[in-house]
Amino acid sequence: MATLAEPLARRRPASPVLRFVARLFREKPLGAIGGIVFLAFLFVGVFADVLAPYGANQISPVNRLKPPSAAFPFGTDNLGRDMLSRCIYGAQLSVIIGFCAAGLATLISVVLGIVTGYLGGKVDLIAQRFVDAWQSFPDLIVLIVVVSVVGPGMPQIIVTLGLLLGIAGSRIIRSAVVSVRENMYVHAAQSIGASTPRILWRHILPNVLPPIIVLFTTRVGVVILVESALSFLGLGVPPPAPTWGGMLSGSGRAFMFHGPWLALAPGLCLTVVVYATNVFGDALRDLFDPRMRGSR
Amino acid sequence: MRRSTRTTALAAGIFGASLALGAGAPLADTDKPKHGGTLEVGTVYVTLSALSWDAQDFNWKHNHDTGQVYEQLFAADLSKSVRNGGPHPFYADAWLPSDAIRGELAESWEWKENPLRVEIKLRKGIMFPEKPGVMQARELVADDVVFSYNRLANSPRLLKDYFTHIKNVEATDKHTVVFTFNQYFAEWDYRFGWGYYSGIYPKEVADAGAANWKNVNGTGPFMLAEFVQGNSNTYVKNPNYWDKEKVNGGEYKLPFIDKLVYRTIKDEATFITALRTGKLDILEAIRWQNVDELKKNAPQLKWSKWLNMSGTYLAFQVNEKPFDDIRVRRALNMAVNKKEIVSAYYNGNAELFAYPMHPDYKGYFEPLEAMPDSVKELFEYNPAKAKKMLAEAGYPNGFSFKVQVCACSPDHMDLLPLVAAYLEQVGVKIEIQPMEYAAFLSAMTSRKMTAGYFMNNGHTNPTTTIRKSFTTGQQWNPSGWSDPAYDKKMDAVYAERDEGKRQAMLKEMTREILDKAPYVWMPTPYIYTAWWPWVKNYNGELRAGAVRPGPIYARLWIDQDLKKKMGY
Amino acid sequence: MQAYIVRRLLALVPTLFFASLIVFVTVRLIPGSVIDLMLSQNDISADKFSRDQLIAALGLDKPMWEQYARWMGGILLAGDFGRSLWHNTPVAELLMARLPVTFQLGAMALVVALIVAIPIGAYSAMRQDTAGDYVGRSFSILMLAIPSFWLGTMVMVFPSIWWGWSPELKFVPFRQNPLQNLSQMIIPAIILGTSLSAVTMRLTRTMMLEVLRQDYIRTAWAKGLSERLVVARHALRNALIPVVTLIGLQAPLLIGGAVIMEQIFVIPGMGLLLLDAVNQRDYPIITGVFLIVGVAVMVINLLVDLSYGLLDPKVRYR
Repeated sequence: MATLAEPLARRRPASPVLRFVARLFREKPLGAIGGIVFLAFLFVGVFADVLAPYGANQISPVNRLKPPSAAFPFGTDNLGRDMLSRCIYGAQLSVIIGFCAAGLATLISVVLGIVTGYLGGKVDLIAQRFVDAWQSFPDLIVLIVVVSVVGPGMPQIIVTLGLLLGIAGSRIIRSAVVSVRENMYVHAAQSIGASTPRILWRHILPNVLPPIIVLFTTRVGVVILVESALSFLGLGVPPPAPTWGGMLSGSGRAFMFHGPWLALAPGLCLTVVVYATNVFGDALRDLFDPRMRGSR
Repeated sequence: MRRSTRTTALAAGIFGASLALGAGAPLADTDKPKHGGTLEVGTVYVTLSALSWDAQDFNWKHNHDTGQVYEQLFAADLSKSVRNGGPHPFYADAWLPSDAIRGELAESWEWKENPLRVEIKLRKGIMFPEKPGVMQARELVADDVVFSYNRLANSPRLLKDYFTHIKNVEATDKHTVVFTFNQYFAEWDYRFGWGYYSGIYPKEVADAGAANWKNVNGTGPFMLAEFVQGNSNTYVKNPNYWDKEKVNGGEYKLPFIDKLVYRTIKDEATFITALRTGKLDILEAIRWQNVDELKKNAPQLKWSKWLNMSGTYLAFQVNEKPFDDIRVRRALNMAVNKKEIVSAYYNGNAELFAYPMHPDYKGYFEPLEAMPDSVKELFEYNPAKAKKMLAEAGYPNGFSFKVQVCACSPDHMDLLPLVAAYLEQVGVKIEIQPMEYAAFLSAMTSRKMTAGYFMNNGHTNPTTTIRKSFTTGQQWNPSGWSDPAYDKKMDAVYAERDEGKRQAMLKEMTREILDKAPYVWMPTPYIYTAWWPWVKNYNGELRAGAVRPGPIYARLWIDQDLKKKMGY
Repeated sequence: MQAYIVRRLLALVPTLFFASLIVFVTVRLIPGSVIDLMLSQNDISADKFSRDQLIAALGLDKPMWEQYARWMGGILLAGDFGRSLWHNTPVAELLMARLPVTFQLGAMALVVALIVAIPIGAYSAMRQDTAGDYVGRSFSILMLAIPSFWLGTMVMVFPSIWWGWSPELKFVPFRQNPLQNLSQMIIPAIILGTSLSAVTMRLTRTMMLEVLRQDYIRTAWAKGLSERLVVARHALRNALIPVVTLIGLQAPLLIGGAVIMEQIFVIPGMGLLLLDAVNQRDYPIITGVFLIVGVAVMVINLLVDLSYGLLDPKVRYR
């Protein structure tokens, strides 16, 4: 309803965004906390270079495996790198991977969902059958093959995950589009001869914005989690890049007893952020439309 | 060779060094051996399942999985082990000291001239057991040896140079095999005798399909009963096995145990757990990171440790600038603080110098102290001199180069950034290029690698370690080292019949190559072996042939009462 | 409905064809060829002659289209997936040994997921926005947020230190020894199932909320039926119908996501087979796994869709 809300916003001081935030805090306190964590994590990721006391790969053999202390609040790892800094840079990497992959996925979902949902008919039918078939290949299996083919690295993980999640998510956007398609204002626009791209852009897209936002938010968590699984299999973003998943499955597991903090710090970051994106996404979903269903 | 770069940490190699262990005192058990029980082993290759059951596929792991079923002409004489008061720990990948080789299927052998040949008399009365659907029980004869050799020599997967020294193999009577040579070859018995593909199997198995585990049938102490790929190999005792073992004055029929199980476990935390809870009786390769915790939580475990049977290094492409300049290569060696890597990175669980020769190679190895000063210098941290030499070579401000490394090795992914940090101190920058295992290996063998290449390379044995790494055109020669004079020396080694002379030649060649520094020589870590005290007549021996532990497992026994008493 | 099934199958065929073609070709073109890997098994030099001989022995000397045609032809005509390049045994045998294991783990995980998700989801809906709602949902989402490899490692390591106990690690097929088989599979199934439960829980909750607002529920309340009866007999039953479809959606997650559990708990399933094959560039296994997993998931999905129609007569297929 963004198109209607705009003129309203000009007349009244309290913007709909603010009102929405107020509602979030009132009705969904858990989701609100998730949202705060999500924003904090975004902030840390963006300003990692300023916030981190040391470099992510600043090696110092004499300081290796030091437990948490004033100088190193999260301790140091087996090469004497500061775990706090690595976790902060890990947030940066997670933001990059998470936002790029989730962004790409959302873009694909939106394009595919809007086109198939709006056009309907044969295009829709055929496209949906292929989406069905595509979803039959388990994400992890596709990722294992792709990463082995092109070698481990961030861009390939982003693109593959973006594609996988994007095609799967197109379902959700499509069903939202289908319900919007039959609205009066869409018919009105069609009858005055508005072009299809214009209808899609001006009338359909603004009205399916809520599910898009929800989709994006929850995808960020999914991407971070999948990267950690890939790291465990040795197919994640390769070290020394400080991804949380890589730290947890690598030195975190190898030094489980010598230095439990090697696992604790990245493990907590990862779990908290994934948890936060999920509860935040859930809350948004409930607020936007309690009947909206998520698939994955 | 291969495992060099394998996944999961240590897949690589064995080996040993009783150095720090305090070899010496024999640890003979005084109890009377008992038959029976099951031995569950996490082998050195605990992460790898059997790849092929057919020798003709030329797969190195074949010998590891079939070495207890298929016997060979020769095997290790385990009475020469440290445990029995002898000099050898039997950790090496694929090396049997010449004073510790015994005939297994061979009863005796003799060199003869004109033409140059070895005449091998086989033991009589060795039986292949019955295998339903494959064969009846029958005696092993000379024709079986000839068959096994010829099938290998005619395999489409054979590398042409493998058997060029052999003219032909014939059975001159039922129990005599003659190997006729084109020329003398110092590693003849490793290539076919006790080596990777030296198992003797009957024609019936090949006819039924040697690649199918269900058809595997040999004269050895065990018979393959089940194979669950990715989980376990189960072998049961061959009740009619011919060999016996003397223990504490008594003579006993082999094998002692009823059942032998190789477990395949990919995850390190899992195989350590399996040892901790007694689900494994022996775990042969344990990284130092796990040792303290195990010693604390499973204090009754017995331990041995060995220096990894492969060397770690940063190889330079010596044909390209700037690494065609020896000063640059030597300078980078001095720029890396190797002693600090031993103490800080490995926590002391490593030795500064154990490559390309291994301290276990008695008669071939010379310690660092015995090396000329110009070699010793490469192991001393001297950034000032490194800078000076770089300046002399025309790089006063350093340079930068790419290094490929296998993302499959968590150790290397930690170690290389550390090396990079040292090099940066002298102005040399490294761009790290992590690669997936197969692509990484392929980059080396197809010579498409970057200027630097960070890897592990197995020693194999004291002769092969030099040949495969530093002679022209070899696959496992990452620096692309090619020196006709050096190649000639290697040929001379192979043609030399006197082992003492070969040892002297190889020592000389080792010194030369160390000095010329085609690699940044890195320290070699210790690997640990642990077993529960109920495993008797055993002291951590790993191989009685080329990656072949079978004869060792046939000779140990399990004190089941002790096991029960300890609550397992 | 027959027409529907036919249409579904028709969409399936070209997808499988293209997917298998793409996988077939790309794995053969990627850096790190199986030939290099095999030649480097030996510590001597590999000359051109030996190399060509090996390529021919593996049948990789033929043009790509011919290799593909042979492979596809073998599958269609004889169910022959080719031979593994390394193991030198039929790929079909390897797949058939692994597929039931993967299915079993997946099915067990699914049951766990439903056992966890449905009560929590139903409870959360009935007590919407109460502490109970938050706790239940939080638990479910938390299980999703903890990486399963980490949970698996903890379960593997700590009980063994505290109580000297660890799960069974020697695999036997269910048919052979159900007890030993289950004692190995149950823990990974629980971990996998709880991590998947969040999605099912969420859907159950949403559907319950919707159903609880319906007229017939209000009627049931009005009749004075107990809460238990209303929920069990009316609400939950109706809410669960769409949950069934979710099972189809989760099938690929169960089959693909199991690889981590397979690795930690030493379960010889499809995931590990693929991982090894990829490392070793065993092309026929890679393509075989891909194809078989794809077909399996598609068939499950089709069955789920059909059963959905049986459950709810309102649904019609078009």
